[in-house]
Amino acid sequence: MRAILSRRQFLKSAGMTTATVCAAGLLSACGSSSSGAASGAASADTSSYTILYSSQPSTLNYLTTSSDIEMVVGANCVDTLLEFDNKGVMKEGLATEWTFDEPSLTWTFTLRDENWVDMNGEVIAPVTAQDFVDALRYQLTPDYAAANVGLITSYIAGAEAYYDYQVNLTNANNNLVGDDGTTYTVDAAGVVTVSTPGADPQTFQPVDFESVGVKAVDEHTLTYTLTYDFPGFLSLLVYLPYEPAYGPLLEEMGDQFATSAETTYSCGAFYLSEYIPLESWVMKKNPENYDADNVFIDTVSRIYNAEADVNGPEMVKRGEIDEATIGADILDSWLADDATKDLVSMDRPNTNYTYFYLFNFMPFYHEFSNQTVEGLDDTYEPENWAKAINSTNFRKAFLYGINNSVTLAVSAPEGYEGYKLNTVTPPSFCANDDGVDYTQCGDLASITEFFDEAKAKEYRDAAIEELTAQGVTFPVKVQLPYNPSTANWDRQCQIFKQQLEGVLNDGADFIDIIITEGPSDNYLSAVRRAGKYCFQLCNWGADYSDPETETDPFYQAEGDRGGRYAYLRTGVEDGFITGETADAIMAYMSAVEEAKTITTDINARYEAFANAEAMLINNALVVPMGMSVPAYLATRLNYWEGQYASTGFSNKRLKGIHVLDHYVSMSEYEANRDAR
Amino acid sequence: MLFFLKNAKSAQLESALNAKQAEDGPGAWANLPEDQLFTPADFSEARAEATAYSNYSYWGSTLRSFLKNKFAVALLIALVAVVGFAFLQPHLPGQVDPNYCRVDPDTGIQLRNIAPGVDGFVWGSNAIGQDLWARIWAGTRTSLVIAFFVAMIEAVVGITVGVLWGYVRQLDFFFTELYNICDNIPSTIILILISYVASPSVPTLILGMSLTGWIAMARFIRNQILIIRDRDYNVASRCIGTPTFRIVLRNLLPYLVSVIMLRMALTVPAAIGSEVFVTYIGLGLSVETPSLGNLINDGRQVMMQAGLRYQLIYPTIILSFVTIAFYLIGNAFSDAADPKNHLQ
Amino acid sequence: MASYLARRIGHSILTLFIIVTLVFCLLRLMPVEGYFANYEKMTETQIQAGLQSMGLLDPLPVQIFRFWRDAFHGDLGVSHIYRVNVPVVDILKDKLPISIQMGVLAMIVSLVVGIPLGSVMGRFKHRLPDQIGTAIVILIQAVPAAVYYLYIQMYGTTALNIGLLFNADRWQYWVLPVFSMSLGNIAFYAMWLRRYMVDESNKDYVLLARAKGASENRIALRHIFRNAMVPLVQYIPSAFLNTVVGSIYIESLYSIPGMGGLLVTCVQRHDNTMVQGIVLLYACVGIIGLILGDLLMVLIDPRISLGKKEGGR
Repeated sequence: MRAILSRRQFLKSAGMTTATVCAAGLLSACGSSSSGAASGAASADTSSYTILYSSQPSTLNYLTTSSDIEMVVGANCVDTLLEFDNKGVMKEGLATEWTFDEPSLTWTFTLRDENWVDMNGEVIAPVTAQDFVDALRYQLTPDYAAANVGLITSYIAGAEAYYDYQVNLTNANNNLVGDDGTTYTVDAAGVVTVSTPGADPQTFQPVDFESVGVKAVDEHTLTYTLTYDFPGFLSLLVYLPYEPAYGPLLEEMGDQFATSAETTYSCGAFYLSEYIPLESWVMKKNPENYDADNVFIDTVSRIYNAEADVNGPEMVKRGEIDEATIGADILDSWLADDATKDLVSMDRPNTNYTYFYLFNFMPFYHEFSNQTVEGLDDTYEPENWAKAINSTNFRKAFLYGINNSVTLAVSAPEGYEGYKLNTVTPPSFCANDDGVDYTQCGDLASITEFFDEAKAKEYRDAAIEELTAQGVTFPVKVQLPYNPSTANWDRQCQIFKQQLEGVLNDGADFIDIIITEGPSDNYLSAVRRAGKYCFQLCNWGADYSDPETETDPFYQAEGDRGGRYAYLRTGVEDGFITGETADAIMAYMSAVEEAKTITTDINARYEAFANAEAMLINNALVVPMGMSVPAYLATRLNYWEGQYASTGFSNKRLKGIHVLDHYVSMSEYEANRDAR
Repeated sequence: MLFFLKNAKSAQLESALNAKQAEDGPGAWANLPEDQLFTPADFSEARAEATAYSNYSYWGSTLRSFLKNKFAVALLIALVAVVGFAFLQPHLPGQVDPNYCRVDPDTGIQLRNIAPGVDGFVWGSNAIGQDLWARIWAGTRTSLVIAFFVAMIEAVVGITVGVLWGYVRQLDFFFTELYNICDNIPSTIILILISYVASPSVPTLILGMSLTGWIAMARFIRNQILIIRDRDYNVASRCIGTPTFRIVLRNLLPYLVSVIMLRMALTVPAAIGSEVFVTYIGLGLSVETPSLGNLINDGRQVMMQAGLRYQLIYPTIILSFVTIAFYLIGNAFSDAADPKNHLQ
Repeated sequence: MASYLARRIGHSILTLFIIVTLVFCLLRLMPVEGYFANYEKMTETQIQAGLQSMGLLDPLPVQIFRFWRDAFHGDLGVSHIYRVNVPVVDILKDKLPISIQMGVLAMIVSLVVGIPLGSVMGRFKHRLPDQIGTAIVILIQAVPAAVYYLYIQMYGTTALNIGLLFNADRWQYWVLPVFSMSLGNIAFYAMWLRRYMVDESNKDYVLLARAKGASENRIALRHIFRNAMVPLVQYIPSAFLNTVVGSIYIESLYSIPGMGGLLVTCVQRHDNTMVQGIVLLYACVGIIGLILGDLLMVLIDPRISLGKKEGGR
């Protein structure tokens, strides 16, 4: 039965979808196994899947990247030890058995038989436990500048010491002299001495890779030894840094590994058969894969087109490609047209990324040992800003004054209500042992929507009184940067400015939001990490299924630079964040530290993390915004058949997905979702 | 693309000027029929007086000559109206800020993609409820300001350098070399590089566009000066001790006014076109500064949706009108400003 | 002639040297992130180490010397972002042929269409064909190419019943990109030829021909047209260069794997070595174009002798 939806109903239901999914989410552990909507029609082109892409990956090296488009190969062409099914339940992958030995903190995995194939689909060698060890070693080599190295050094025993030594050794071998005059020397025994002028020289003893907690016991047995009993470890295995790579190839290629189809081998559901930058990118079904029977697409082709936004929808109308993103600006007219309205559905909700606003707590110059924060430009009055954010009333005026609906409506027309969040962690991200969703644990349970104009004005008036006494000049300048290459962000900023100024400047001259355009390349380094913003929309994607991952943007160890988001703690350490605000920040830090130590009692652990997060939000140290809005798509894929998880890259896997002989309509999309 | 036109037209004028200069003298009346060549004239006191004095005024003649071209005059009036309105528009009552997103008062959600003429949106609204009417006029202002500055810089720098280049022999090698360099790199590439090195803003765009444009102008002026400077009347001026700058100002420049005006007129559409191009490749101005380039680029994203095409059509109409008008008026004016066309 | 050519080429090489050195220096002003594929993830020590190993911390003259020494050996360095560690020369080698083919075809089309159009306009000066032609020329120049290229693609592909994207193996797919690419030059040639024909038509030899009783068509074709073509010829090579550069829009619209999109991509992604290589290539093409233009003039018009006056511009 296919109900005909009106345009408005469509948009409403699209928003609803998210809510339903969140409710279903990971909690619905059991259910009938899904074969998805029937793709019975034997039309010839249900075996291939062609799309346009407009953003060119610079590498396909899944061991070094962490960017979205570059993980496609890692997700589809390389198998992981474990996998998620289409309901987000973990199941076996390359490993058939896994056990944890608590006293020694060691996980042991038994691998199945699997082969590496080259770009022609020909078998090269078997996949062995050693391939996992070699991949890890590759990432711990500083020359390759692996992006996810932090996800290894934090959890694998000995990895951090090994990596630190390697970094210093590399510097010594390069005869590097740091900006501050730091020199690196290595002696015959391999001991590296780091001398910084005005400080005692540090020495680093050689660390052997043998001491890192990853071992190939035999061809089919792999062990990881952890630094502590980390609850999210299994979900972390379904992500780039814990994927295998063929050792001899890594050795041969070095930094050239996986820069082309010739320089990588595959062992996943697909193999990379062709890759020409700015032209095309083809993956083919890998018949050697153990799970080949569950792979229903023979050829996945991506064609480069710089104008994919304009050409993609048109090519869908002509049936030339199998999927295109329908941007928010043309969505209305697609739905208004009878010929196209049944072609539009959407991507599965992405419960991975969440968005929130941050105040910059580090508006001044600050040097960390491995990072320099430049702080605000003088135009934006850093002194003034530092005083302003030290006032809880000032921040709360923002927390209560921001109406997230209007900014979300830019990318999610009318369905926006479904994407609003009042917490940093999204619902259905993880649940405790009693099945209570994390966002309903502890103090997080009592958080409701903040937007309230009257309250915002109360806080504003209190802030004006308090801050005027401290010599803050009004209006306070608020630099609000955006990245021009992120779709709709520029528009959101304009809407945001108008909305918030409309509330807070009503009857007072409170703030002056100044929208600035950041560079489209290396935006985060140039803006957020450099402390060159006052207020900014940030996002965070979970790396594994445990609330600890959601503290990464905020938590800073003493003297450390932390996740380089708001530098919450640094302001306190430097002494310009004081009083109530400083207390709140330090209370949060110790709450997180405490929560991390609880590793056995999941309920207590979640509650402790939830309380910490609630502390952060209630003190307006962060302003929650929303979930990422799934793209509206015209697609012939039944995505609900594919692997689904709130962390890592599982949503990008095409295994198990059928190509239908028609484009999925919204009602069919919902039916597929319910049927899985 | 418009760089083509500009160079073409000025080179054409240059060659026409050279040709005319070659023809000066007896050749000029060679075409007269014989009976007109030798007709006895009656004595007339008035006409005798007239030969002693001419009421010729350069600008007056230019104006008269220009006014004869009815089409150009009509176009000029329309252009002045459009440009004038663009600058007047924000001061008119009832106009909204081009960055203001109109929202539904009940929900606070912006009025997206409202069709032209509905809900008080004269030219419709864009995807976040901003008034296209206000945005297009604001964009026209931005683009015109950029174009105006580019044209001014080209004229001032180009004329100064051109005069120096032509008059000071020692500088010739340096400038010729510079010209060869600038002329060998396609101007688009220079524009891309400048936008790449400096972050995009109105001054950067002006800099990028005028960086190489002046040299073509200077080269042209220099060539003319080389030709004219040793003419008898200039030699005579020098002999009686007229200062160089006065020779340049009074004897040389009037000769070149037509071409200078044309080049400036053609710079305006060329600059607008470049701005559209730079925006297209992602090096344009930020969203808070609407420009015709921004608007056309946004419109392009939705142009395949018949219902949204107005977002492309309105800015394109304004852009094309301004471009064509400047081009045609520039041509007509340069014809009119050419003194050789005055006494016919 | 030979000595002129030698001098001219020597001079061009000097110009080329200056251009590329300037661009090289200009790119040294750029943020260093253009040398690292995953700059965002690197620590400052890693960045320093990387810069040092690439020799970017050396004094500028040393860097320039090294660049030219390598360039002389056909080595323009490696790409750092677009295709990590692939030599720039290899990348350009793959991309250049299709752009050249397209450019040559577009040039032929623009000559074949533009010259007849221009001569008809010139022949019927100030009459209907001239006015229509002028209107077309002005429209092509005034409406932003980014707009009408898209319409040509959308409606053209429907009319020809072909796919939206380029496919080098079937000739139908070449029609629209080549036509779009030649539009600018059609307008350019038509306008120039008309102008030159109008100029020529006032010359004495035309008067003579008319006096001899030659028909207007014959005069236009045999006398005026031939002479008007002479100055036009020298612009053909530089128009070709502009075509190749102007292909940026078209190549991205049709997914043509050529040079045009490459420069924009590399500029947007701050791949400094690639930008350097591409500018060098364009500057070479530009200079060769100028020399060719001068030579063509000599071949076509025996009255011009290159030894005396430099160039024709």
